[in-house]
Amino acid sequence: MLCRKFFAATAIALMSVPAMAAENITWWDFFSGGDGVRMKALITRFNAEHPDIKITGTTLEWGVPFYTKVRTAVAVGQGPDVMTYHLSRMPLGLKEGVLDEVTDKDLTDAGLTKDSFFPAALQAASGDDGKLHAVPFDIHSIVLYYNTKFLEGSKFLDGNGKLTGISNLKDFEEALAYAKEKGAEAPVSYATGDDGATYRVFYTLFRQLGGELITGNEVLAGDNLQKAAKAIEVMTNWQTNEWQPEQAEYEASVALFTSGKSAFSLNGVWEVPTMVDLEKKGSLGYKWGAVQVPNLMGTQTTWADSHSFAIPANNKLTPEKRKAVMTVIGWMEKNAIAWADAGHIPAFKPVAESAEFKKMEPNATYAALADTASYDPRSSIAGVGSPIYDAAINIISPAIHGYAEPMAAAEQMKSDLQNVLK
Amino acid sequence: MAMLTNRRKEMAVAASLVAPFVLTFALVFLYPAIRLVVLSFTNSPLIGAGEWVGFDNFTRLLSDKLFLTSLKNNGYFVFLTVIPTTAIALCIALMINRLRGSLQALALAIFFLPYILPVSVVTQIWTWMLDFQFGVLQPVIAFFFGKSVAVFKNPYWVMPTVAMVTIWWTNGFNVLLFIAGLRNIPKDYYEAAQLDGATRTQLFRRVTWPLLWPVTALVLTLQMILQLKIFDQIYLLTKGGPFNSSYVMLLMVYREAFQLNHGGYASAIALVLFIVIAAFSVLQYQLLRAGGRR
Repeated sequence: MLCRKFFAATAIALMSVPAMAAENITWWDFFSGGDGVRMKALITRFNAEHPDIKITGTTLEWGVPFYTKVRTAVAVGQGPDVMTYHLSRMPLGLKEGVLDEVTDKDLTDAGLTKDSFFPAALQAASGDDGKLHAVPFDIHSIVLYYNTKFLEGSKFLDGNGKLTGISNLKDFEEALAYAKEKGAEAPVSYATGDDGATYRVFYTLFRQLGGELITGNEVLAGDNLQKAAKAIEVMTNWQTNEWQPEQAEYEASVALFTSGKSAFSLNGVWEVPTMVDLEKKGSLGYKWGAVQVPNLMGTQTTWADSHSFAIPANNKLTPEKRKAVMTVIGWMEKNAIAWADAGHIPAFKPVAESAEFKKMEPNATYAALADTASYDPRSSIAGVGSPIYDAAINIISPAIHGYAEPMAAAEQMKSDLQNVLK
Repeated sequence: MAMLTNRRKEMAVAASLVAPFVLTFALVFLYPAIRLVVLSFTNSPLIGAGEWVGFDNFTRLLSDKLFLTSLKNNGYFVFLTVIPTTAIALCIALMINRLRGSLQALALAIFFLPYILPVSVVTQIWTWMLDFQFGVLQPVIAFFFGKSVAVFKNPYWVMPTVAMVTIWWTNGFNVLLFIAGLRNIPKDYYEAAQLDGATRTQLFRRVTWPLLWPVTALVLTLQMILQLKIFDQIYLLTKGGPFNSSYVMLLMVYREAFQLNHGGYASAIALVLFIVIAAFSVLQYQLLRAGGRR
């Protein structure tokens, strides 16, 4: 009896396997929230369209946990077939030797060419020898979200209710003061008590001042120290004037803006879907927009990073499987418009320059930031989950809350990071 | 001759009985420990081989500012927790000991409850209670200090707060040890002393305290070892900040090994931490025992 049941079950199981043996692709990513939903949808769509390839995706925890797992798994040859990777993490990845080269043949298999990517992203995905080690998928950055409610009647809104007239720090601070007067609890919201958010704002201001975090093997060399202190001073000043929330965690900083208590928010493009969804549901209660971070300090630039696809080193991919992996990557690139839905700017130019993307708001408004984006310094101590992020929460965040002078904070940053670099 | 075979047989039986333990111990403790020592003399990454660099890691350690900060913070944390938690546990145990029956069981359960919680739950509870914006304890802090304090972001508050959370979490176990110790003191001694007209204070100083001393010494030593190994609460609550004011040795081991891929250097720090703990606990236990004999 039991035996017959077992055979029946086996027979049914066998029948459900398609006639052609499918290539099973193991996929690791670190996407949660809106990103995670969209990536899972893309994978589902891919699987539906490709009966001969099956992606099995696993989502791991973003940051140090993900990259630690990658490193140990690759070392013992148990890595995935394909994984997502931050380009800011490329120098450390190359130093650890966890990334396989993406050859020209691979790109051909994927139906891609090098010149179809933004040069900055392509460069960030290559080693110092010019060899490609990842395929860039997007460019993501921080943008300036605004709530028109607090700016009405000021010179900062044009006839169409769009943000205008902020071309230096003075303008921006004038707008902050105006919003404060109009009753904004925190005129500019960002997660002042969080490593990533504090770092991104700091690095944007610092780069706009023309600062270089690492030159050669030296951290904050020469007058870069003064520039770092200046950036911290600006952020401290926003705190002293109560223009930014005190010790805000990430979720709280988003909630401040979505609940209409902030005039501005300096946050990642990945919160665009949050805003779009709230507006669609009709629960936002105000008009909003997002523009690239204005030139506040002298140079037009913004912190940016890229998600990319990479093949782990030490893999045992057969040529057929490798080809299947490249098919996956190629398909993802060509369908990146669904990923742009999560606020990101596609790194694949045919999508980024398509009519469909140009119609996409607010992405199209801030897409120009890709041309002037500042990636993290190319160093093994930079990038997601790196000592530089630690310095943001350990030093910059307390300093902007008044626990240290800007210069003292910059000096400690220099000495701490130099210590790690040596 | 017969005796000799008997002895040999006994040895064989004994060996076969201890073998499972010895083998497991050698495999999961001894071998990794030896590897750690070897690793600390190399520049190897977390996984894979490295080159022999002699004492380089250790000399580098001595000039590493962060290491000295961590060492200092470890010391500060031990100072903030070991004696306070022992004293508090003793007081609670003395009070519970005066209760009887189910009331005593209930009181003991209440004090023991936090100890059964996993560390992540403990830190969640306290992050929520002490949250800067909406924590339920912030009005209390505001009442005493005039304004709310972001306790885990303030360089002066951070260590005492982590110490407080740790004491709250682990105190139950110490209470249990003290209760066991108190129950071991024969009632006769108290009766005899009372007949001689001893006061309550004298009972404690002349009977309870000296007879409880072995337990007190044990609790102090266990706490010392445990608190030198602080990591979880720091990692979950403060990540070592602000300004490294809660950076401790194990966090440094974690960062060096898992974030920076410096297996050799991380092993050297771990080895130093091991030596510090071993030296201090042996020293402390000997001192306390000597103190108890007097």
